[in-house]
Amino acid sequence: MMASRLLSAWGTLRALRAARLPYTPAWLGQLGWAGPVRAMSDGGIPSNKEQATGLERKVLEAIEKGVDTYNMFPPKRYPRTKEEPCLVPSVNKKRIVGCVCEEDNSSIIWFWLHAGDAQRCPSCGAFYKLEHQEMPH
Amino acid sequence: MPTQTHTYHIVEQSPWPITGAMSALLMTSGLAVWFHYNSTTLIVTGLLSLLLTMYQWWRDIMREGTFQGHHTLFVQKGLRYGMILFIVSEVFFFIGFFWAFYHSSLSPTPEIGGQWPPTGVFPLDPFEVPLLNTTVLLASGVTVTWAHHSIMEGKRKSALFSLLLTITLGLYFTALQAMEYYEAPFTISDNVYGTTFFVATGFHGLHVIIGSSFLIVCLLRQILHHFTMDHHFGFEAAAWYWHFVDVVWLFLFTSIYWWGT
Repeated sequence: MMASRLLSAWGTLRALRAARLPYTPAWLGQLGWAGPVRAMSDGGIPSNKEQATGLERKVLEAIEKGVDTYNMFPPKRYPRTKEEPCLVPSVNKKRIVGCVCEEDNSSIIWFWLHAGDAQRCPSCGAFYKLEHQEMPH
Repeated sequence: MPTQTHTYHIVEQSPWPITGAMSALLMTSGLAVWFHYNSTTLIVTGLLSLLLTMYQWWRDIMREGTFQGHHTLFVQKGLRYGMILFIVSEVFFFIGFFWAFYHSSLSPTPEIGGQWPPTGVFPLDPFEVPLLNTTVLLASGVTVTWAHHSIMEGKRKSALFSLLLTITLGLYFTALQAMEYYEAPFTISDNVYGTTFFVATGFHGLHVIIGSSFLIVCLLRQILHHFTMDHHFGFEAAAWYWHFVDVVWLFLFTSIYWWGT
């Protein structure tokens, strides 16, 4: 508790120092005393890249890289054959899959897909394979 | 923060919903106590605790969105839907007053002289202060759009200036309406004309004050560098709300001030 208070007080101090100095001398930076640089593009309002933080920032970076660790994008389409099964990402060793079989079907076939070899939908026989997905952070 | 595989904001425990509910109870019972026993203790307590709740709840939301980064693109989408639905509910709130106005004015009863405006009521001239108010609000709609474009293009100085201008126009409107109320030759108890007039324009005035406060919060947040060029939904919601208030005024002006005279 004490340590965290000290840390936050130190952070405020650093920010204040950085804010008060119109030009931050380089040696301040070497001492780690210069606050974060506020580039703020041209006119003084920052971009998301400069200011976004936390999960918001991680999501923006993931979208930029095209990485879908947060399950944001629509599911990819696969031929779902033995050679090219539908790859189902999962952070666990199993995941529930819902197979629509044919596109106009109004009932969905739900089943557990386990890690290992490809499994088939019990109704239409389409191939599914669990693909290990890294935890986002 | 525990690891999550989705981008939604799982909110933490907060005392503000229950303090808000308690304020609402204090205000309703306080109103009844005020009417029946002429004591304002309960309603003042209710209003104060409501103000404290609003301040701290919205402060928490700003911390979550701006400093903790909980307002991801997907969360922002939810906030957008929420604001749209809220404004739709506000539209229906005002439709109620317009309904009352047209119900009373389209077929005036014998009690009010069978005419509109009712016998003995001398309405305000729509082409004096009300027309000025119309231009003031329309101009503020322009300046708020100017502010939005300034934020999107990263122009801090013009964003601050145009936002300040919008707020000034909003306060000017409120001041003009206050003068009109003070000088009006009829009151809220002067038959159904006074009732529909003051209830409709009064609730509109309240909404202008709320919208102005919303914009003032945006100005303070802009001064504090809360907004980015791409993420400034607090401001966008305030701008949507401001446009809504503007449109309601146009209907009030054409229906009650102009057609109703």
